[in-house]
Amino acid sequence: MTSTPATTAVPPETIVSIEGLRKSFGNVEVLRGVDLKVGKGEAVVIVGSSGSGKSTCLRCINRLEEPTAGTIRLGGQEVTGPKVDLDRLRRGIGMVFQGIHLYPHKTALGNVSLALRKVVGLSKEAAEQKARHHLEVVGLAHKADAYPAELSGGQQQRVGIARAMALEPQVMLFDEPTSALDPELVGEVLNVMVRTKEMGMTMIVVTHEMKFARDVADRVVFMDHGAILAEGTPQEILINPQHQRIRDFVMRSHG
Amino acid sequence: MDQIVRYFFDFSLMSAFWPDILRGFLITVEMSILTVLIGIPLGLALAILRLYGIRPLNWLIIFYIDFFRSIPQLVLIVLAYFALPYFGLVLEPITATVLALAIVLSAFAEEIFWAGINAVAKGQWEAGRSTGLSFTKTLAYIILPQVVRISIPPLTNRAIGISKGTTLGSVVAVPELLNVTSSIQSNVANPTALTVGALLFLLLFLPFVRFTRWLERAYAHPRS
Repeated sequence: MTSTPATTAVPPETIVSIEGLRKSFGNVEVLRGVDLKVGKGEAVVIVGSSGSGKSTCLRCINRLEEPTAGTIRLGGQEVTGPKVDLDRLRRGIGMVFQGIHLYPHKTALGNVSLALRKVVGLSKEAAEQKARHHLEVVGLAHKADAYPAELSGGQQQRVGIARAMALEPQVMLFDEPTSALDPELVGEVLNVMVRTKEMGMTMIVVTHEMKFARDVADRVVFMDHGAILAEGTPQEILINPQHQRIRDFVMRSHG
Repeated sequence: MDQIVRYFFDFSLMSAFWPDILRGFLITVEMSILTVLIGIPLGLALAILRLYGIRPLNWLIIFYIDFFRSIPQLVLIVLAYFALPYFGLVLEPITATVLALAIVLSAFAEEIFWAGINAVAKGQWEAGRSTGLSFTKTLAYIILPQVVRISIPPLTNRAIGISKGTTLGSVVAVPELLNVTSSIQSNVANPTALTVGALLFLLLFLPFVRFTRWLERAYAHPRS
């Protein structure tokens, strides 16, 4: 069903496992049975044309979208069960949005520390200390007191990454994190994502940045019409694609 | 000119009736403050309740706000004072007036807060929930602070408009500022008292208007 990652002989411990995931919006079936396993520390990049269901698939993992059918597990724990404590579960799943969605009434520090205080239950001091550390990791320690409106789009998205990373999740979901940014601001965000991977974070990334997919992904998943058409190493999927559908896509993506 | 001064600014009349006027003024201030303090939190509570999307409850809330936004305040005050006693609820004139005005204000405030809640981008909810914040915590820490900011300008307009409705309390004999001053006017056939009344209304509402303008500015763009 799935080709094993070429990098390791023994697959690492599975962090995210998706089986038979289906999602319909009204009569429109957006996901038509997706199966995907993501190992610890692995960076999986999902590519495909718009409307292929990439984002919906990602959003089902922390149930921002409610799956119509299928099972999703996070580190052995069921995400899709009826009695799941969603808030507890979501602490373990960081998410970075295309629209960034920083809280405009809070400073960068306030954005990163909010959940540390109100979800984890840290004191204000402890939460801010931790938040400062995570702002430092994304290179924005000096902007801790700036409001989102005072930051560039790239800086905002780096705060968005820090906000998700501060909860020390088991997996990070990136939903087209650079699509809304001016081209010259994309690089700084991708650099932070590379660093995130180097720190050993498990990542699932939906993106149109083919260079990032080629250079950083352990595995590339190509989605088409709500299903996975192929998956494999960047080499297999993006450099020597077997499907005509993917060859066309890669050709167009290079512009 | 001399005649105008004598007619509208008769100082001997002013000093004679000053204690009555002052008492009326204080009642107006008290009623205005109570109306705002009850009406706005009640409106916010209704908007929050509506957000939880409990079907039958939402029908009730929508009926409540549509009804109380449509009915004239005067009618409501009269009903509160003259009709409620038949249901065993006898209210002081001031209480009846404040109750009626606060309910009307709450209906308008609910709509304003509701519009504010809908104006906050859906992504704000998703960002909050994705970090494990519950619905209620997301509402409290992320959504409502933004809603309050958006709602302040329309809310103050409405609050001032409805607070001026305290003058309608005269129909149930509330000795508020306008009632007192217009009585004096008819008793002594000189509108000086009304002039004083108007100045006092300005004294009450102008600082309020200025204060809310300051609030709007302070909240609009945090440090930018």
